[in-house]
Order: sequence, then structure tokens, then C-alpha cells
Amino acid sequence: MSVPKLEIINLRKVFGNGSVVAVDGIDFAIEAGETVALLGPSGCGKSTTLNMIVGLEDPTSGDIRIDGRSIVGVPPGKRNVGLVFQDYAVFTHMTVFENLAFGLVIRGRAKGEITRAVHDVAELLGMQKSLKLPAAELGGSELQRVAIGRTLVTKPAILLLDEPLSNLEASARLAMRRELRRLQSEIGLTIIYVTHDQIEALSLADRIAVMNAGKLQQIERTSVICEKPDHVFVAGFMGSPPMNLLRGEIARDGAITGFRREDLFIQLPPSEIVSSGRAGQPIILGVRPESLRLALADESMIFGKVTIVEPRGPEAVVTVEAGAISLKAVVLASGRPQEGSNVGLVADPSSFVFFSGETGRRLAS
Amino acid sequence: MIGRKLTWPLAFVLFGALIVSLFPVFWIVMTAIKPPTDWNASPAIWFPSHPTLVNFKTLFDPDAIRAYGVGGVSQAATTSVYGSLLASIVGTVLSVAIGLFAAIGISRYANGGKATPLIILSGRMFPPAAIAVPFVIIYSNVGLIDTFRGLIAIYVAGTLPFSTWMLKSFVDDLPREIEEAAMIDGRSRLMAHLVVTIPLIRSGLLATTLFIFILNWSEFMFALVLSYSNVTTIPVQLARYVTATAGTLYGVQAALAVLAMLPLILAGLFIQSHLARGMTFGAVKR
Amino acid sequence: MSETNELRMVSQIPDLATDDVPKAGIVRGKLRDNRLGQLLMLPGQIVSLLVLVIPLLVAFYISFTDWTPTRGSLVQATLVGLDNYKELLVYDTRFVEAVVRTLLISVVCLALEFVFGLALAVLFLREFRGKAILFSAFLTPMMILPVVVGYTFWMLFQSNGPINQLLMLVFGEAAGLQWFRSAPLAISAVIITEVWHWTPLFFLILLSGLNAVPENPVRAAVILGATPRQVFWWIVLPMLKPVIIVAFVIRAMEIIKLFDEVFMLTRGGPGTSTETISLYIYKLAFSDFQLAYGAAAAFLVLLGTLLLIHLLLSPIRNQLLEARR
Repeated sequence: MSVPKLEIINLRKVFGNGSVVAVDGIDFAIEAGETVALLGPSGCGKSTTLNMIVGLEDPTSGDIRIDGRSIVGVPPGKRNVGLVFQDYAVFTHMTVFENLAFGLVIRGRAKGEITRAVHDVAELLGMQKSLKLPAAELGGSELQRVAIGRTLVTKPAILLLDEPLSNLEASARLAMRRELRRLQSEIGLTIIYVTHDQIEALSLADRIAVMNAGKLQQIERTSVICEKPDHVFVAGFMGSPPMNLLRGEIARDGAITGFRREDLFIQLPPSEIVSSGRAGQPIILGVRPESLRLALADESMIFGKVTIVEPRGPEAVVTVEAGAISLKAVVLASGRPQEGSNVGLVADPSSFVFFSGETGRRLAS
Repeated sequence: MIGRKLTWPLAFVLFGALIVSLFPVFWIVMTAIKPPTDWNASPAIWFPSHPTLVNFKTLFDPDAIRAYGVGGVSQAATTSVYGSLLASIVGTVLSVAIGLFAAIGISRYANGGKATPLIILSGRMFPPAAIAVPFVIIYSNVGLIDTFRGLIAIYVAGTLPFSTWMLKSFVDDLPREIEEAAMIDGRSRLMAHLVVTIPLIRSGLLATTLFIFILNWSEFMFALVLSYSNVTTIPVQLARYVTATAGTLYGVQAALAVLAMLPLILAGLFIQSHLARGMTFGAVKR
Repeated sequence: MSETNELRMVSQIPDLATDDVPKAGIVRGKLRDNRLGQLLMLPGQIVSLLVLVIPLLVAFYISFTDWTPTRGSLVQATLVGLDNYKELLVYDTRFVEAVVRTLLISVVCLALEFVFGLALAVLFLREFRGKAILFSAFLTPMMILPVVVGYTFWMLFQSNGPINQLLMLVFGEAAGLQWFRSAPLAISAVIITEVWHWTPLFFLILLSGLNAVPENPVRAAVILGATPRQVFWWIVLPMLKPVIIVAFVIRAMEIIKLFDEVFMLTRGGPGTSTETISLYIYKLAFSDFQLAYGAAAAFLVLLGTLLLIHLLLSPIRNQLLEARR
């Protein structure tokens, strides 16, 4: 088995004499050529993890290995990783060429070698025409390309990006997405990036590592993570809108087992969860908005009033409230209901995902 | 580079620089408290064995000064202290007031154009010795020689570039919306400036005032050239003592120098945070 | 009167790049606002006109005459065209020497002030206790009146003064110097005094500049493999360039007018070896009463200074105009 490109082993970072645990023992490995997103809300530890990989922070304990070799304690300049800052941090007093060449110039490489390397990267990123321009004259997405190019010239083992799409306008975002994907395929770059925006994560990454409060909640392939969230946190974070989550308990009514929450009762078909669970066991029912359909009275599982209808092009996000419960459903725009009307919702029970009411972990179905 | 600790050799260098920075101040303070017997000792005395404040008293006592019988010097420093205070304070207040309105005018209404900064700056480039020439001529004809009005007028005009430009940079820092909000509340533009703009730049105003005061208090050339008997400032008086006595009135001269220094060092402490802005016409902010 | 109008016009050229998009409502309307603006700037313009512009023009006029106060009123003076200027530039070696001397002293002082100020500023980037107090202490020299500085160092450089005492302590009896008896020593004394007085300004400005250097480009350079020295040379120093130039320009403008300290220290002596331009003009005007000649010298100096400043500022001209917005 080949050595993973990057391994994080029981990484821990504590600030201020133990009072603040920024990263609480996380483990994961990334293969060469992968693009992985570190996703999570502010303060979850993703940026601290990034800084430790780069070398701007030292871990309190644990190990970080690149190509099998530990890099803890190695100064950032010698780790052979590249970092693109959220504000790009381009050297504004230099030209594009000088920015790109910087890493090699300070290593004392020969002029011919530097010129060749810079031209190669410039061609790769489509910047050949801008090489002589002062960096101060460039706009946002061009600056980002300079920042990326600057790291690529030094041929890093891993490229790290901090919130790469957050400072770009919508059209520039699409372009940058395509650029990064192209870089990945053309030169087999291993990319890790940090983001708080799950759409950014879903659009770019092969795998997503969801972090919360210093812990790694789940690391999973992008295509799968929305449907198979391991934890209620991930479920409530991923997706737009995210999965509907209802706290309740298992209830038995004779031979019929179901999910009960106050006066809501949804019958559940026989399954392992249902049969192994005891009555009254706290459980969280998850159902994705895409799985909820508007239904006629006799089909419906839940009745409620439509409070908000948000058109979204071919679809619409409908918020339905039933008592204290608020659910979002994604329906076709053509079939959307009126705000204020009473509707019924139904979903295929096989699409339900259950989480333990105590630990939040997903229960195998 | 940033945030690293100070190593021992560097701490040594820092300490050395500190000694160099403060030694002259130490020396002049020591000289000011030396009794006359210690004044011209050879080699010079660093720590007087009997420090005394008599030099300060002598400064204000014409008879005591005459008693030294050196070079016909008989003028007490009283007039000069009074003169410095009057000229500096009035000159500063006027300069800051005029500069304040000009600053608001330039900042909010005209942006100054591109030539005005250069015009104002070039006012600072003219050797004062020469601009004193026409002043002497004009003032003699208008009867302003040896008057406070004349000196104050020069102090105001000379520091106006600084006060205007420094205050302008403080006004620039305030977003225009603040005044516009006051105007929406029903006030006229002028009232908006009086009630909103000026209070909000309080600390900058104080810093500018102290800065201009320092400039005026230190001014030498014009006071030297334009004053004879009625008007004297401390720098001129000090120069007179030194010239008239070939510098031998050490203790008394040093006492005057110490008196001159004190207000400035105090003022300097207050405005430290704004010094960079003042010294560079607002180009550099702390 | 046309002067006032010109001043007013010049100061009101609207800056097209930053004019607000006019919004509706009674509060907008730049034309109406301009009247208040004019009013606000009026006192300043009047003062400048009366106390700066008019005397300057009078001096300018005088520089083209051969007038001295003993020859009656100024109005009757004879115009001699460029004679004064010609004499200054071609025949007056003392003037040319004063100019060269002043420039030399200025260059040396500025260079030393820059180096020491930068070293101190870099030192202040580190962590240590009592920074605030030390900061005040280091700024003290700058706050002292030039006259007092001159006088203090006059005392320090006396033959029996502390500087000689220290030199003799370290280098033996013979090391005591007659600072005011020889030209090179006198010039050195002037330079030392000036550098002591104004290094804090460079320190202050450079420290501000260093603190303003953005962190991320520095970090980016480190990640790309730069050593602290390389970061300083390639990233920090270039980013400091505008600040450095501002500091040089500000000091250059003032040091060319060097008068107070030299007056107290050496009065221009021994002989004329420490005579700065200002001292020479002072002598011309107020010892020799050659007012017209002195005025011409002053205008030559003004011209030279303007050119110098223009040259110094040109690398960052665009940046400065941007910053003013």
C-alpha cells in the first residue's frame, strides 16, 4: 500500500495553558492527488489545523507526516508545502514575474532555471501575458492565480488554500473552481482547503472532512456525505437546505412501531433500528428536504401550514410549520404551494436517517 | 523577526542607546543645579556635591545677574519667560483655530486640489533667515517691530501649514456620513461641523495644539531678529546670555534651558501617539 | 487680489476621482456647499496671504535690487536685474561653499539618522518589558528646543567637558580633542548634535511603518522559504519605501535650514567651516545689511530645495496622491 501524502495523527493544539482546546485529537489521511475540504463553522479548529500543517503553529501533541516523514518541528520554509492565503497576500511591490519567481530566487537558483519554471507555471495558469505587470494593478481572481502560481513554482508536495472562493464574485468562483479542478487533473496536485461554506466544499472536493469544536466529525466522499452523515451535526450542516432533524422517541403501539414527537406519530416499517430500540428511546429522525413531497390528505405523514416559499429557479424551498416543528421541503417550482396554505407532507420511510438521541451518532439502518 | 525576545547583546545595545539619548538631558539638569563654584571646573563635574536651586532664583533676579559682572549682562529672564508664554500660547491657539476651519474646508469641500499641498509645503522650505528680511522691513514701516502682535502673526503663519494639514488628516479619518447624519437631523452644515466634527476629533485637536505649541515655543530665528527690548523669548534670552558671557554663566544658562525644556517634554508625552502624523504632515499615521 | 482668487481656485479644484455621486435631497449640491467651504478656508488664506505671500513677494522684489537700509526707502531702490543672482552663483565662493557644506552635512546626518533610527525601530519590534517607557525616553531628544540642544552640546564638547573626559578615559590623556578649534572636528560636532537631536524622528516614523507592514505577505515569504534576513530585504524594506521617503523629505526640508543648533554650537566657526546656508544668509542680512543680496541667496536656496524635494518625491508621487484621497 502506498504511503498517504498527508497523515494527521492524533493532532492536538491547546492554547493559553490548557484553557482553549482548538484541536482535540484528530486523525485522518489524504492520498496523493486528492482534493479534501476541511469544513466547519467558525472556531471548529480547521484553520488551526491548516496552520499546523503549514508550520505557522506547532502542535501541542500528535504528528503530521508528509510522504511518510514527520514534519513537526520543521520550519515552514522547509516543509515543501504551499499556502494560498484568504487575502492572497501577493507581494504588491513586485511584478507578477517577481512574485512567481520569489521562492526560487531566495533559494539562489540559476536565472535560466527560474525563468523556465516561472514561464511553465504562467502557462499553466494562463498568465503569460501578465508577467511584466506590477502585481498592484491586478484584480481579485488574477491575484489569486498569482498566489497559487507563486507556490506552484516551488513544486510543493501539497497545496493548501484558506477559504479560496470566499473573496470572489460568483462568476469568478466558477472560473476558479474549474482552474483548481484542472490543476488537480493536469499535474496531480494534492489539495487541501479550509472553508466554512459547504457549497464551496461540495463543489470542489473529492472528500470532505467536517470539523466541529476541535473534533473531526466525519471524513467522507462528497457524493456520499449528504446522504450518509455520521453525526447529527454533519447532517444539520451539509446540504442546502440541510437535513430536517426531529427529536423524538421510539414508540410502540401494539405491533406498530414508529417515531413519536408529542402528537406527531410516524409509522416506521420494520428494521433493525426499530426492532432493537426500546419504547421511549430518544432518537433523532432525519429526512432530507429533497425527500419530502407534498401529498394529499390520506397519504400525508405530517400536516402543517406553509410559512415561507423561496423560489430557487426550477425548484422552490417550502417551509412548513406544524406546531413547534418546522420542516423544509424542496419541491418543483411548478407545483409550489401558496404561503399560508395548509399542506400535507410525505416521504419514503427508507430515506429516513436515524441518529441516537443521546450521542448524535447515526444508527445503522 | 517580529515578536521575538530580546537577546542579551541586543539588550545591551538598547541600553547603550538609552544612555546616549538621555545623557545630554542629564548633563544639563546637573549643570542647572551646580553651585557657581562648580561651573567651570576642569575636568567638568558630573555630580555636584552640593546641588542647589540658586541658579533658578538668579534667573529672575536682575541684581544677581549683574553681580556676576560678566559681559555687561544684566537682564533677568522674567521678560523672556513671559514673552515665550504669551507668544507661544496665543500663536498656537490662533494657528489651531484658523487651521481647524481651513482643514474642515479643505477636507470636506474642496479636497484641496493637487497644487495646494505643494504650495503649503514650499512655505516650509524657505530659509527663515531670508523671510525675516522682508518682515523686518515691513514691520519697521508698520510699527510692528519688537511687538508681540508682530511675532505672534509670524508664529501663526509659520505653523499654519502644520496645523491645517495635521487637522485635515484627522478630519479625513471621519466618515462624511457622520456630518450628513447630523444634517438630516435638521442642523445646518456649519452647525454639523461645530457639534459633530469638532468634538469627534478632540484627541487629534489636542495633539495638534501641543505639537504647534512645541514648534512655537522652540522658535528662535524670528524672535531673534524681530525683538529688541520689549519682546524676548526664552531661546533668545538663552542665546544672549551665552553670547554676552562667552558661555561662562553655566549654571544660570542651564537653569534657563531646563525651564525651556520642561513644557516640551511634558507636551511630548501627551501627544506621543500622534507624533508620527504631525511630523509627516499626515502622510504617516500611527 | 488676483492672488486670493488664484489661491481659492487652486484649493477648490474638485477631485474628480473621488467626488460623491450626487444624491437627491436638499443636503447635497456641491455648488451650494462650496460657499461654506470658501468661508472656512478664508481666514487661513488671508493669513497666508498677508503674512506669507506678501513678504515673500517683497523679498522677491528686493532680490532684484541693490537696496540696503542705508540707502533710503525701498521704493526708490534701483533694479539691477539678475546681478545679485549672478554674483552669488559665479563669484561668491563663500555662498557656494555654504551650500556644498550644508548639503554634505545634510547627507551625512540623514544617512546616520536613518541607520540608527531603523536599527532602533527593528529592535522595538521585539518583545520586552517597559517598552512604553523606553519609547518615551527615546523620543525625548526630538522634543528639546534646537537652541537648548545646541547649547547643551556646546557644553558637552568643551575641552574640559564630559565627552573629552570619556575619550581620555578610554584612549588616554592625549585623546582630548579641541572640538571647536579645527574644521573637521567642528563639523563632526555639528553632525553628532544633529543626529542626536533627530534620530528619534526616523525611529518614530520607521517604527510606524514597520508596524503597518501587513503580516500575511511576510508569512507567505516565510512559507516560501525565506530567512528572516531575506524577508526583511525583499519584503519589509520595499514595503517601507514610501515611509522612508517621507521621512527623508521631511527631515531634508528642515535640515537644509539648519540654524539654531549651529548658532549656539559654533556660530559658523572656526572661521566659516561650519557656516550653513541659513547662517550665511543671516550674516548677509543682519550683520552686513546686504538685504537684497541675502534675499537673492534665499530664493536660490528655495529653488534648490524645491527641485530636491521634487526629485526625492518622484518615486512615490503616485502613492502619495492616492493616499491623500
